[in-house]
Amino acid sequence: MASSLVSARDRQTLVNVVYAAFPHSTFPRGPYERAADAVIDQAGKDPRFLAQLLQGLTDLDAQREVPFAELDADVAAAVLRGADGTPFLTAVVDSVVVTLYSDPEVWELLGYEGPSYEQGGYVDRGFDDLDWLPDPKIEHDEEMTA
Amino acid sequence: MTRFEYDDSDVVVVVGSGAGGGTVANELCQRGFKTVVLEAGPHLTGEDYHQDEWAAFGQMAWSDPRTTSGSWQVATDFPGLPAWIVKAVGGTTTHWAGACPRFKAHEFAARSTYGDLDGTSLLDWPITLSELEPYYDRAEIKMGVTHRHGRPPLPANNNYKVFANGAEKVGYKYYSTGPYATNAEPYDGRPATVQDGFNFQGDKHGSKWSTLVAELPKAERTGNLDLRPDSHVAQIEHDASGRATGVLYVDRNGTLRRQRAAVVCVAGNSIETPRLLLLSGSAQHPDGLANSSGQVGRNYMRHTTGTVWGQFDKPVRMWRGETMAGVIADESRLDTDRGFVGGYYMETISLGPAFLAKFIAPGRWGTPVTELLDQYRNTAGMWIIGEDMPRADNRVTLSGETVDQHGLPVANVHFDDHENDVAMRRHGQRQGAAVYQAVGARKTIETPPYPSTHNLGTCRMSQRPRDGVVDRYGRAHDVPNLFISDGSVMTTGAAANPTLTIVALATRQAEYIATELNKTLS
Repeated sequence: MASSLVSARDRQTLVNVVYAAFPHSTFPRGPYERAADAVIDQAGKDPRFLAQLLQGLTDLDAQREVPFAELDADVAAAVLRGADGTPFLTAVVDSVVVTLYSDPEVWELLGYEGPSYEQGGYVDRGFDDLDWLPDPKIEHDEEMTA
Repeated sequence: MTRFEYDDSDVVVVVGSGAGGGTVANELCQRGFKTVVLEAGPHLTGEDYHQDEWAAFGQMAWSDPRTTSGSWQVATDFPGLPAWIVKAVGGTTTHWAGACPRFKAHEFAARSTYGDLDGTSLLDWPITLSELEPYYDRAEIKMGVTHRHGRPPLPANNNYKVFANGAEKVGYKYYSTGPYATNAEPYDGRPATVQDGFNFQGDKHGSKWSTLVAELPKAERTGNLDLRPDSHVAQIEHDASGRATGVLYVDRNGTLRRQRAAVVCVAGNSIETPRLLLLSGSAQHPDGLANSSGQVGRNYMRHTTGTVWGQFDKPVRMWRGETMAGVIADESRLDTDRGFVGGYYMETISLGPAFLAKFIAPGRWGTPVTELLDQYRNTAGMWIIGEDMPRADNRVTLSGETVDQHGLPVANVHFDDHENDVAMRRHGQRQGAAVYQAVGARKTIETPPYPSTHNLGTCRMSQRPRDGVVDRYGRAHDVPNLFISDGSVMTTGAAANPTLTIVALATRQAEYIATELNKTLS
């Protein structure tokens, strides 16, 4: 449950933080928004994390002339590096590294196919379709004794 | 389902249902002994498993609190999670991949072979390879291990093709898709693999050997198995004569129960087993049950591990197919001229994006992580697994303050890498990178050790009672009807994945217990 203390602007800043932490040029904004919302949900259950989150976002906004969400990507990355190791950023990264890369849209963008059992696994769907190397032996000639 | 009375003091109680516990239980049931298996976790089956790494981890992993100390990197990266093992029926056999190398003859005589290495507590096993060989055969037949006893090899998957071609180019000879305990063709009533790519998350198809799908159902069919999931053993009890009389356990309703027993076998994996002994201290055993040697919990080993990833110009799709059906054995040879003693294997491994992102550089973020993930499709992976050195101070103890949901002090796992471990890991990562570079890797990446999946040595076998906790059959030196049935008994860890050896040792132990019980019961 998201806290009412997290404003729409805080959420936008957090989405930009998530992007600055895990910048994939090929990803649309959706996965980053979902990862940010998961952080906000988690903070809603943990007052200490919520307090750190609100303060951390405020601190990031104060680092340059303009708010964090308006910074160019490389400047935003540099500002975020300044917060590396803070409890705020550590908690955000710990959450995002799980949710962002468990997002099926991200899997598709990275080429990962996710659950396979319902489709019969890969036995008839390319588990051995790599064709840029020769087929290797699968048994060695003799048992190694030493 | 068979149920035995709490007061039935003829039963054998087995604590834990994984490779050791599930095997010893089935072997005893087959011989007609009433057996109660107490498993701390729930009874999950194939239908329950999630093909999603974090969901599966949340469902299967032993995530009760634990604490860590020492200089090993796991204590920094995963301070509350020293081990990645399972709390469910079938134990960590539901999570293991299936690699089944045997230990080598010299690995049973590590102290004699490697010498008196500073900072180690190396010791020879009280048994030899030749004594264990018949049980290795039985274990391999039981488990349907590929490449053995007429079982066909698994085919090459994509990850293996990269790995094996690289191996060939660097001059390695002993590479293959096994031995591996997953069916390439139907065997023992279980189907051939569909190469669905999920091993660590539980095998929905049942083609991988586990005690969940093989030993426990067979035991159940004898009518001699009383399997009680959600049953967390809190204490082993003994009488004035020093014999174990049964156990106290917390059942699924939170009620403390007493199960009496003729014999107690403990197989809780190498962290929980010593924890239970240490929790079972008494006036007669003030330092923990069966701990007159002071060795309970000591000599904890976790294998020297590391991961190497290779990234290529073309797709690999390493997630398709059997995760660890690829092994290079050349570096497992006895050769102390490499700057370290002991050997190691290289084995294929694959992680999904979620676990790769978490493990590739724990706690790190930014372009170093995202650039690696952007090449996910073109990534091949291998795991390095080698013999680590036992050290007296690498040990499992009871945590001073942290308790679990039952109020029981949790285990603290202390580990310092020995310089031999560090040298071996460095060598393995260099050789692993060379394998991938030989077939055109644009980039290779080294990943530090994961939370331990191989936990060994904390109740080690020894000839002399003062050097260890159990004898050559896994019987406690101090308590004649108490047995340790898991990887805790390993005197040294060898290079090979431990499950096959745990199953072989448990098979041999059950035969011994049966002989002994027949003497006392007749």
